[in-house]
Amino acid sequence: MTIPDHKQINNKDLSRREALLWIGKVGGSAAMLQAAGLFGLLTTAPAAAQTAPVKLQPLTKGRKSVLILGAGISGLVAAYELGKAGYQCKILEASHRAGGRNFTIRHGDFIDELGNPQFCNFDKDPDLYFNAGPARIPAHHTAILHYCREFAVEMQMFCNYNKNCYTQDDNAFGGKAVRIREYEADTRGFFSELMAKSIQAQAKLDAPFDDIDKQKLIEFCRAYGDLSSDFTYEGSERAGYKSGGILSPGVLKKPRAFADLLQSNFWAGAMHFGEISDQSAALMTPVGGMDKIVDAFLSRLAGKVQLKAQVQKVQLLPQGVEVSYWLDGQLQTEQADYCLNCIPAQLMAGIENNFPADYVGVMRQLQRGKLSKIALQAKERFWEKEQIYSGISWTNQDITQIWYPSHGMFKAKGILLGAYSWDPAISDRFSAMTHKERIATAIAQGAKVHADYGKYIEQGNSICWQRMNHMLGCGAVWTEELQKTSFATLQAPVGRHYMVGDQVSYHPGWQEGAVRSAWYAMESIQQQEQQKQQVAV
Amino acid sequence: MNKWILGCLLFCVSVQAETFHQNAQYCLVCHGSNAQGNDAISAPNLAILPDWYLSAQLQAFQSGWRGHQTKDAYSKEMMAVAQSMSADDVKRAIGFITSFEPIKAVETVAGNASHGKTLFQTCVACHGMAAEGNEAMGAPPLAGQYSWYLIRQLQAYRGGLRGGEDKDARGAVMRQIASTLQHDQDLHDLVAYINTLGPANTQLQAKTVQTTDTKK
Repeated sequence: MTIPDHKQINNKDLSRREALLWIGKVGGSAAMLQAAGLFGLLTTAPAAAQTAPVKLQPLTKGRKSVLILGAGISGLVAAYELGKAGYQCKILEASHRAGGRNFTIRHGDFIDELGNPQFCNFDKDPDLYFNAGPARIPAHHTAILHYCREFAVEMQMFCNYNKNCYTQDDNAFGGKAVRIREYEADTRGFFSELMAKSIQAQAKLDAPFDDIDKQKLIEFCRAYGDLSSDFTYEGSERAGYKSGGILSPGVLKKPRAFADLLQSNFWAGAMHFGEISDQSAALMTPVGGMDKIVDAFLSRLAGKVQLKAQVQKVQLLPQGVEVSYWLDGQLQTEQADYCLNCIPAQLMAGIENNFPADYVGVMRQLQRGKLSKIALQAKERFWEKEQIYSGISWTNQDITQIWYPSHGMFKAKGILLGAYSWDPAISDRFSAMTHKERIATAIAQGAKVHADYGKYIEQGNSICWQRMNHMLGCGAVWTEELQKTSFATLQAPVGRHYMVGDQVSYHPGWQEGAVRSAWYAMESIQQQEQQKQQVAV
Repeated sequence: MNKWILGCLLFCVSVQAETFHQNAQYCLVCHGSNAQGNDAISAPNLAILPDWYLSAQLQAFQSGWRGHQTKDAYSKEMMAVAQSMSADDVKRAIGFITSFEPIKAVETVAGNASHGKTLFQTCVACHGMAAEGNEAMGAPPLAGQYSWYLIRQLQAYRGGLRGGEDKDARGAVMRQIASTLQHDQDLHDLVAYINTLGPANTQLQAKTVQTTDTKK
């Protein structure tokens, strides 16, 4: 997934005059397409190719063993499916817990960051949890949802986009936070007005638009921006009434100046976040935390997951794979017919192996994904007093986002996401801080969005994925070039060894990539088995 | 209530002890399963380093001589880890790391080794003819270390990220010498020459690939 980098685009501050000139040039389809492209409306990818869930044929004869390295989502899926088909599976997990980056923190949980170990200090309460890794599932991620359905994981809706949340930008409106509904109503209003008037000013549109199309296009502008009958924008109820609206007539808010709206960088990326196919409504999340999915797998994999088993060596054998690992200070060695390996590639590159050089070469080139999240426990759900229930506020400060929980309305306390950054430079800044400094930074920056923010925050936790033990990154970073030349190399088996996980998908950082990567590898194993049986016959 | 808090604290401490301190393989997550380093995450080769140097550097990280500068992101990562280690952790880590055989790092830099040999004559007095290191001079072995790591350290000395602390007398010497290597090409040439030196063990990668009998 590529998240628009609104911070970069912001460097191109448009003056009002430039903006008018630019929009005034609209005369035909090409210009409009360019405008749409600039506004990030054409960049969303179509839904991922849908394939049916993996269906492995039960093993009919013989005993086949599989060692799975890593108990993240891909490893759990593999152990579950292969186990159902009669393969003997064992998962070796280096960490003290299963789930990988599917990590929900609650009271007392250990957060194993290198050099910065923490315990989750939330109150003990079923509603006070935080999804430090994946937090939302879009409807087209049918593979991970397949397991939610199969295991009857209770789901709820997750809100990514709430017009009552704020956008705050130090360069706009004197740094004051503005409701997203006001910002959007006004920008769309002005944008539509300029568009409608410039189309009207054209005697004729370029082919293939005829006069009827021209009229429809003008009407489209009116509908899009909530324009008055003379195609001017005079404010809209979409921005929320200034007063009245129920027992007395609604009074519109005065629109903000377009030039001021353009000063904010919100239009350059964040405003269109909810248009991204993976981020758009409606999204879902398991009730009680994302790790309910992990729990559901684990309850079906009793005795198959060995925690705190750190892999030391992976050796390809002519008819299988041998894995050595540290357990309780001792080196253990096991052989298996197959190995599915979801150790982060950048760490696997440092583990002794006898892989072909080009295979390891790809691992060495994958970069650590640098993402960080900060969770804050609020002693009072102050956002509800501001008519915010769920959703995301945006800021151009390092914290980037504030999330309000999609559950637990009207309860006493709540867990906020106080920062979420996927910009490597920002994550580097957070990871270089002590845990205390991170929380203090999150509170100080959040105070520009909510007055008295610090007054409500009791405590917090920080998760810098690039510093988490046994992971050292979140989502492998592939360059487009490396994907072209080397994705197939890493995806293909080497003998009986497969690299799996979201890192071996075009969807790194999403559970969907992890599940589908495991399915891909298991189908390949099945093919290897079937071919052998045919040879034997 | 007090009892409850005490109970909770004890629980926390015991969980931490179990998950954190007993993990003698902690270093290998970043530095590779044989402590040979991992260029994918910019972790240097520790397997070639003697106990006295590991000890000195852990002390440098713990006291903030290395890693305290904002620009020095890689050292900052190690500083956080070092500062979270107790004296016992340090002892155990050094014992564990020095139990590995030295392995030569995969080479990643090309340069003019014969020019490098000339430049290396300045280094010989402290680091030895074969770049094998010398405890008496406080000079670590360089042979077998990752080229990018050596270059980055030379740049760090040159740029004042390393060796600028008053108490870091050995670092100060190195800083002065590094400042004479003004051109990056000189650094490449020098490291290209160091690449030609020991340790005796072959590269892990080269050694193991030859034994594979499985074709893709």
